[in-house]
Amino acid sequence: MADASWLTEFPAMDRRDLTAIKKTLDGAYREFSRSYGDIIETFFDPLLYFLVWFEKLLINTPWWLMIIIVTAIVHLSARSWKLSAGVVVAFSLIGYFGMWDNTMRTMSIIFVCTLLSIVLGIPIGIAMARSNRVQAVVTPILDVMQTMPAFVYLIPVVMLLGIGKIPGVIAVVIYAIPPVIRLTNLGIRLVDKEVLEAATAYGANSSQRLWSVQMPLAMPTIMAGINQTIMMALAMVVVASMIGVKGLGQPVLKSITNQYFTLGLFNGLAIVALAIIFDRVSQAYAKRTQKHMEGMHSD
Amino acid sequence: MKRVLGAALLAVGFMASTEASAACGKITIADMNWNSASLIANVDKFILTHGYGCEAELVPGDTMPTGTSMMEKGEPDIAPELWSNSMKEALDKAVAEKTLRIAGKSLSDGGEEGFWVPEYMVKKDPSLATIEGVLKNAKMFKHPEDPDKAAFVGCPAGWNCQISSGNLFRAMKMADAGFELIDPGSSAGLSGSIAKAYERGEGWFGYYWAPTAVLGKYKMVKVDFGSGVDFEHFTNCTTQNDCADPKPTMYPPSPVHTVTTEAFADKAPEAYAYLTRRSFKNAQMNSLLAWMEDNQAEGDIVMEEFLKNYEDTWTPWVSAEVAAKVKKALSEL
Repeated sequence: MADASWLTEFPAMDRRDLTAIKKTLDGAYREFSRSYGDIIETFFDPLLYFLVWFEKLLINTPWWLMIIIVTAIVHLSARSWKLSAGVVVAFSLIGYFGMWDNTMRTMSIIFVCTLLSIVLGIPIGIAMARSNRVQAVVTPILDVMQTMPAFVYLIPVVMLLGIGKIPGVIAVVIYAIPPVIRLTNLGIRLVDKEVLEAATAYGANSSQRLWSVQMPLAMPTIMAGINQTIMMALAMVVVASMIGVKGLGQPVLKSITNQYFTLGLFNGLAIVALAIIFDRVSQAYAKRTQKHMEGMHSD
Repeated sequence: MKRVLGAALLAVGFMASTEASAACGKITIADMNWNSASLIANVDKFILTHGYGCEAELVPGDTMPTGTSMMEKGEPDIAPELWSNSMKEALDKAVAEKTLRIAGKSLSDGGEEGFWVPEYMVKKDPSLATIEGVLKNAKMFKHPEDPDKAAFVGCPAGWNCQISSGNLFRAMKMADAGFELIDPGSSAGLSGSIAKAYERGEGWFGYYWAPTAVLGKYKMVKVDFGSGVDFEHFTNCTTQNDCADPKPTMYPPSPVHTVTTEAFADKAPEAYAYLTRRSFKNAQMNSLLAWMEDNQAEGDIVMEEFLKNYEDTWTPWVSAEVAAKVKKALSEL
């Protein structure tokens, strides 16, 4: 009977061997973190200083000046009075309900994360679009990044770098960067072959084709990717706060554990307000650049 | 009426065990997301299934969601390890309203909370085992973001201990010594920060509790506040959000209970009686947790280890007849 048990039960690895494997790998990781942790931490130090400085800047700026600056940025990019008025109202409410500091903290970290995602993501997207081999390698990595539960890599990162902003940024960027990479790749690949041939016929070299033809034509798609990246970064705020990132995520966590529904709702809405502002600004900006291009076409 | 019925059922249960076990039926047990609770849940499941004929099922749980769900919905039936301080008022109310019943203490010594420093630091400088020593050497506990400050890692956001550790932070004037209270965000963040400090031999000072695998694995020393336990002040002020003038006091041992729904206690009095007797000593729990950690075992595996090798512990919890049934089931594993 014991011989036939593999028919009914999966012939799984012996429990002791499995334990040995798990223990060896964990031990190796501990060893790695012990010997290289300090060096890696030093490597991230400049980013940490920038994050701390930027957060302090946003918090120490007087609230009215902050509202003026944000509204000005929104208005310059979106040119919509309605949206600008909405921003003033949203920020006033956030301040009135006592969530100003946390909102500034979240805004600072999300801004840095988005910036990092764009700076890292667009070149990777371009590389993917230009080489099928790169695409074949990067796509499954992106799949892993988007689906792997965050805590699986968060806790090893915490062991390496401690709790706080840097592991938070790493977690947010890992989760939020795939859309901008994917859509940069897609946008460039969707540019018509004929257009590229025409550019080649005019004597454009490879980099001219990329920067003057493919990138501008792919811009709407890339902007959609950036937009998704911003949204996903904001969605990670709560997860990031689980490893000690200050901001709107912490009151949300607190409300979840204590069932303070109103507290949760307020802070959740503040995250939503930030998301809408980031979203409308990037959308409107993208739309305006597009319109500008359409104008050129019809001329 | 209900009480009469319960008493009657209880009497019937003692007289005819087989009938009572037939009435046990489907029950759910909360499998909390930490090791000791998971171990107890698995032991309960095995004994209730094989010893009392229950159809026991484990459902994932956590203190707050499980407690609330038991009060509001009567599900799950059993919370094997509930740190009742964290929801004392609600629990007392539910017991008074006869929706929940406290069966007994799952950890007979109670849980141990406190502020801890790694053992290797105390070995180098024994004064670090006291709060004065820690405050004087604030420089040794580096803040992750601000080099001018020292870090005290508090309790995760929203946990009850966040209030008590915050009040003690104020009571001992730790901010004046240069400490800043850091919120680790989650228990995983908290234990991660301990692991990081320990692997590199860095300074660490913060809140933690036992029995836990973390304190089994990383040897820590509980810092003495030099105040003893002021139970009165602790319950009335230290654990309260609006404590105006907190004073230093050590954490009293926190009660850790087995809680069941009234409905379960009513329909399965025999199984309930087992839960009233089922209790672990901290020392034993720590060694089981260490075994679990060493073998990276799940709750069901450490359950097997426990039932096989700690017979003297668990056989008194059940009748001889039930013990025989459980042992038989165990030999068939």
